[in-house]
Amino acid sequence: MATPALRFKRRGLSPQQRRDLRSGLLFAAPAILGLLIFVAYPVLASIYFSFTSYSILQPPFWTGWENYQTLLFDDPLFYTTLYNTFYIAIFTIPLSVIVAMGLAMLLNVKVRGQSIYRTIFYLPTIVPFVASSVLWLWIFNPQYGILNTLLWYIGIQGPGWISDPSWAKPSLIIMNLWGVGSWMVIYLAGLQDTPQELYEAAELDGATAWQKTIYLTLPFMSPYILFSVILMLIGIFQYFTQVFVMTNGGPADATRVYAMYLYQNAFTYFKMGYASAMAWLMFVMVVLLTFVIFRTSARRVYYGGQ
Amino acid sequence: MQEQSRKPLSRRTFLKTLSTAIGGTAFLPLLAACQGTPPPGGGAQAPSGGPTATVLRAEAGAVEPTPAPRQAAAGRSTVIEVWYPYGGADAPLYEEYWKAFEDENPDIGVNAVYAANDLSTNAKLFTAIAGGKPPDVTWVDGPQVAEWAARGALEALDDRIAAAGIKPENYWSPSWNQTVYEGKVWSLTYGSDPNFGFFWNKDVFVDAGLDPEKPPKTVEEMDEYDTIIAKVDGNRIERLGFIPWTVYGAANSLFTWGWCFGGEFYEPDSRKITANHPNVVKALEWMTAYAKKHDPTKISGFQAGFGSGTQHPFFQGKTAMAPFGPWELSALKRYAPNLQYGIDFLPTGPDGAPPKSSWVGGWTVGIPKGSRNLDAAFEFVRWISTSDTATMIAGKTFNQFPGYRNSPYYNEVQNNPQLKAFYDILVETKHQRPVMPAQAFYTGELARAVDAAIFGQKTPKEALDEATVNTQKELDRILREGIS
Repeated sequence: MATPALRFKRRGLSPQQRRDLRSGLLFAAPAILGLLIFVAYPVLASIYFSFTSYSILQPPFWTGWENYQTLLFDDPLFYTTLYNTFYIAIFTIPLSVIVAMGLAMLLNVKVRGQSIYRTIFYLPTIVPFVASSVLWLWIFNPQYGILNTLLWYIGIQGPGWISDPSWAKPSLIIMNLWGVGSWMVIYLAGLQDTPQELYEAAELDGATAWQKTIYLTLPFMSPYILFSVILMLIGIFQYFTQVFVMTNGGPADATRVYAMYLYQNAFTYFKMGYASAMAWLMFVMVVLLTFVIFRTSARRVYYGGQ
Repeated sequence: MQEQSRKPLSRRTFLKTLSTAIGGTAFLPLLAACQGTPPPGGGAQAPSGGPTATVLRAEAGAVEPTPAPRQAAAGRSTVIEVWYPYGGADAPLYEEYWKAFEDENPDIGVNAVYAANDLSTNAKLFTAIAGGKPPDVTWVDGPQVAEWAARGALEALDDRIAAAGIKPENYWSPSWNQTVYEGKVWSLTYGSDPNFGFFWNKDVFVDAGLDPEKPPKTVEEMDEYDTIIAKVDGNRIERLGFIPWTVYGAANSLFTWGWCFGGEFYEPDSRKITANHPNVVKALEWMTAYAKKHDPTKISGFQAGFGSGTQHPFFQGKTAMAPFGPWELSALKRYAPNLQYGIDFLPTGPDGAPPKSSWVGGWTVGIPKGSRNLDAAFEFVRWISTSDTATMIAGKTFNQFPGYRNSPYYNEVQNNPQLKAFYDILVETKHQRPVMPAQAFYTGELARAVDAAIFGQKTPKEALDEATVNTQKELDRILREGIS
């Protein structure tokens, strides 16, 4: 690739090039050092801590695989949090894709005020998580919330939403769908990238809107969908703020998600080693899942013309 | 084919690389977080069911801007840094302490920094200690003392306490007990919260046809009153007698009713967790029966419209009975000036449970490990815990009963019927939360047990057995690893 250039440099830099190299490195040094000290070191250190019992002030106490063993074989709450996380992921991700894609297709239609609609649907994305969580707490309020009031008008007795253990996770999923704006924008960009001449050809051949969606739009959008699914998966493993603000894991552990339990172990129970082990298990799980998604989707994803 | 091979970068490779790269980097902060920096969004709000009753007062102030740090008066030879836990409306009140201390100690200046201190924000203090820049003095919540001492976050104070002539009998005994772990004293109690006074709303009693001057004397009576007071309109609860698990969070509720029913939570000599003590189980069974009576999701829906502290439904006449601490007196005066209420001992539990049950909560003040001004720091700790000036400020400005029994504030209390009611409770108090290093974990487990039982996912016995086993395992691990 760039080897000829490199070889040339190695053979002998002119004084000017050497000066450039030096000042270039110097200018980049803060970023490089920052990355090494504040990112690389903590990440590597957390591998070590995951094999210890560590409560911050005392030196870490080497325990070998104990943290991993306890997590996998002796901590039912670990599996509860894993289940909760997967539950939220399995529903949030496909629904987000469908909703974001639907919105993107609607907003791709050329009508008056198109940019205003786009702004409106994107708007929830820029509301900070803490603020939107507090807002949704009120929307979900079973007695005074707008959701149950609306349901009451159409004759439905609404559930307890976030305060009912069997409705708490669905409530979070509904709330997540409210924030699909950023995926909608990415899909919208993808839609505008699909070749218009193919649509015109399809129309000439008498294709219905449904056929155009299934045979034209979806194949062209598949790389975007794959991309968003993977990022959503990672995002859901880190799902924390909403739960922390709204339920703190309750009611009855229904919303105790993985990142929440990790945080509790680290900062409430002073089990930094245990929490580090959880973080690495999460990392391994996401890498595996990403790999599986890539493998299983390879034939279904269409990269224009390949 | 030719076409394709000439493409410099395919979309596929691009998206693949991008998602892998983003996927990788997205993890870095999380892994890094385990190093001691809370992830973004952390510490935004105190989790409910925290270990302290008083933490909940902080929640009300959580939306207020963080108070600016206070600078010590000029020309002091020693300056100590003090971290205090309450912002919001309370923050300006602390100035009275700093000023009074500086007036009485002309050599010592006080730099005061607001640092929220509860379950979710311990990390700040621990990071400061680990980084070698701890404050000289910090507020320590009662149940945190053993937890922090065992993890090396506090300086032992025994020698200085002896030299200052401070004796255990100068304090309310549960307040002293909570500062002693492994035979050493780690902090001095600043406030003793008599937990709790039983408040009842006289207007609601009249409205429901009850005698407003006769609070329930037993838990059974309280249940009967609830049946009379409760107003349920279809699926909507309009008013309840009380809600047993809203005594400053689920864990504190179980402590309150568990002791009220004659239970015990910890056996200090054998270091055994006893959350499944038959009487604690009985208390949780009673709470669960109450939940079934009104439907737990309906109650939590009702509850969700309110909150803790000044948002508590009692303030709006939506519940008629509630256990409260003395700090609610000023809140009631401010936010519900027309509410007519009485204060009494908690009702007595069933089957020969001891009457007049209560426990002591409240803050202590200690010295973080690594303080560089131990003498001046201890002078402040001694002063705020025992001096007439400071204990009077605690009482008059903060509605905080001093831990120090000899405080002149206790003379004043005798003339105020409301405060006298709390004083009488404090005199009778025998309990403090378990003094052991897995206290935060225990609190979390108790809260989970209460939740699981009232929502019918486990029987009270199962839930408390599980909490006992889990906490015992955690405590044994901490003790085994010899972290002390």
